[in-house]
Amino acid sequence: MRLVRLVARGTLLHVKQMSRSQFEIATALFVPLVQATLAVYLFRAGSEPHRMLEAAVGAGMMAVWTSVLFGSGGAIQMQRWQGTLEMLMLSPRPPALLIFPITLATAVTGTYAMVATLLWGGLVYRIPLDIAHPLAFVVSVPAAILGLGMFGLLLASTFVLVPNANAVNNALEYPVWLVSGMLVPITVLPGWTGPIGAALPTTWAARAVRESVTGAGPVWPSLGICLAISAACLVAGAAVMSYVERRARANATLALA
Amino acid sequence: MRLLVVGGVIAYRALFNWARPSMFVGTLLIGPLFQLLFFAYLGRQLGVADDTFYIVGNAVLSATLACVFGGTIAVSNERRWGTLGHVLLSPRPRTLIFLGRAIPYAGNGLLIAVFTLTAGSLLLGLRIPASALPGLVLTLAVGSLSCACFGLTLGALGLRFRDVWLISNVSLALMMLLTGVNVPAAHLPEWMRVVGGGLPITHAAEAARRLVAGDSLAAAGPALVREVTVGVAYAVVAAVLLKIFEAESRRRASLDTL
Repeated sequence: MRLVRLVARGTLLHVKQMSRSQFEIATALFVPLVQATLAVYLFRAGSEPHRMLEAAVGAGMMAVWTSVLFGSGGAIQMQRWQGTLEMLMLSPRPPALLIFPITLATAVTGTYAMVATLLWGGLVYRIPLDIAHPLAFVVSVPAAILGLGMFGLLLASTFVLVPNANAVNNALEYPVWLVSGMLVPITVLPGWTGPIGAALPTTWAARAVRESVTGAGPVWPSLGICLAISAACLVAGAAVMSYVERRARANATLALA
Repeated sequence: MRLLVVGGVIAYRALFNWARPSMFVGTLLIGPLFQLLFFAYLGRQLGVADDTFYIVGNAVLSATLACVFGGTIAVSNERRWGTLGHVLLSPRPRTLIFLGRAIPYAGNGLLIAVFTLTAGSLLLGLRIPASALPGLVLTLAVGSLSCACFGLTLGALGLRFRDVWLISNVSLALMMLLTGVNVPAAHLPEWMRVVGGGLPITHAAEAARRLVAGDSLAAAGPALVREVTVGVAYAVVAAVLLKIFEAESRRRASLDTL
């Protein structure tokens, strides 16, 4: 229970902190709407205008991934710049438990994008919100967010080992959108991308949310696989985080930007 | 000429913090290439347009990342690193100092666009007629220069507004939508086409598509002239804004305020 409280309080704190950044707010407010508009016009122009709701949901999931990728990938670097990394590491808790709320917060702020793209599609482009399984949708979106937050911990812990992690962040946005089938169906991609997509929780998260919207398949297995892969990422991320912390303490490089 | 070219190159080396190999490859080469693949596969799936449309369009668009952010960096990083005052103390013409900074970014944009076009064509099997190549390089260069002038205009806003990165990010997102690079212009509403016509890249993409389709440079000429006009217009706007905001910053003693 204390563990849940720590994560919940930490997540709330970091969501509040992110909500104070004008850049974060405006980017998170505006860019997903542009992406959703682009998706709407593309689907309208194409042969599948009936998949507009799918396009809006896909654009929302893309924005959630962007938020997790940039927020989690740079989570530790951001704490360094703010001068709060030492405080976090001084806390008598495992480092992963202190960084996980940050990565979860980036996924939670990405939820806005999902809501905004659906509202934008409904209000501006009159896309009917005919969700096939509303209950499954209401469950699958927060579960997908939680899964991506757990995946974010692995990103946060491994990217800190990579020099110029920003370059990796910038290079990973589109590939993950692509192989996860967020907007482009996986079936049209080359066969070798299949195993890569299948190993990513983003693929199963997008699939679960899409299935809840279209009713095209069973939601729960996809969601289960998403959470299982994410949990494995959480464990791996925690292990890497402990290793990084020990190494940084031993080498006295914790606060070095 | 020395001030324009040498000054521009020195400023590029000093200010463009994406010029490190890892950052350059990850952000400016791999990112745009995957953007091209993403839209090409989406376009295939939806039957909106063929691969050529997306390869050429996204190759032209790929220059925007270096040019728009570069133009912004060229002005606003001076302020961020506390060197803006030194630049403005110089007795040389400001317009030349700052416009010269657009040139290396345009060169950078051209390099990225050529790489993206080549890699995209090889991966997706596009054959470009050899006769189209000189015109295509000219078109990509004009598009990059026009885009760098647009970036400089946004950079000028950095003298007035604190968070200019926000404006750059939003502008890039809007360019993806409004320039007709990923959604054929015929499928966009009239007002979006009008706005897109005033943005860099729109006309360069049109010219590049004509050239790849086998048209002559003369046929692509009108679109190329429109792109040049847009670029010159942004260069003028950037010069005017830099003058206005510099004067205002001096008057309000807010030159180095972050």
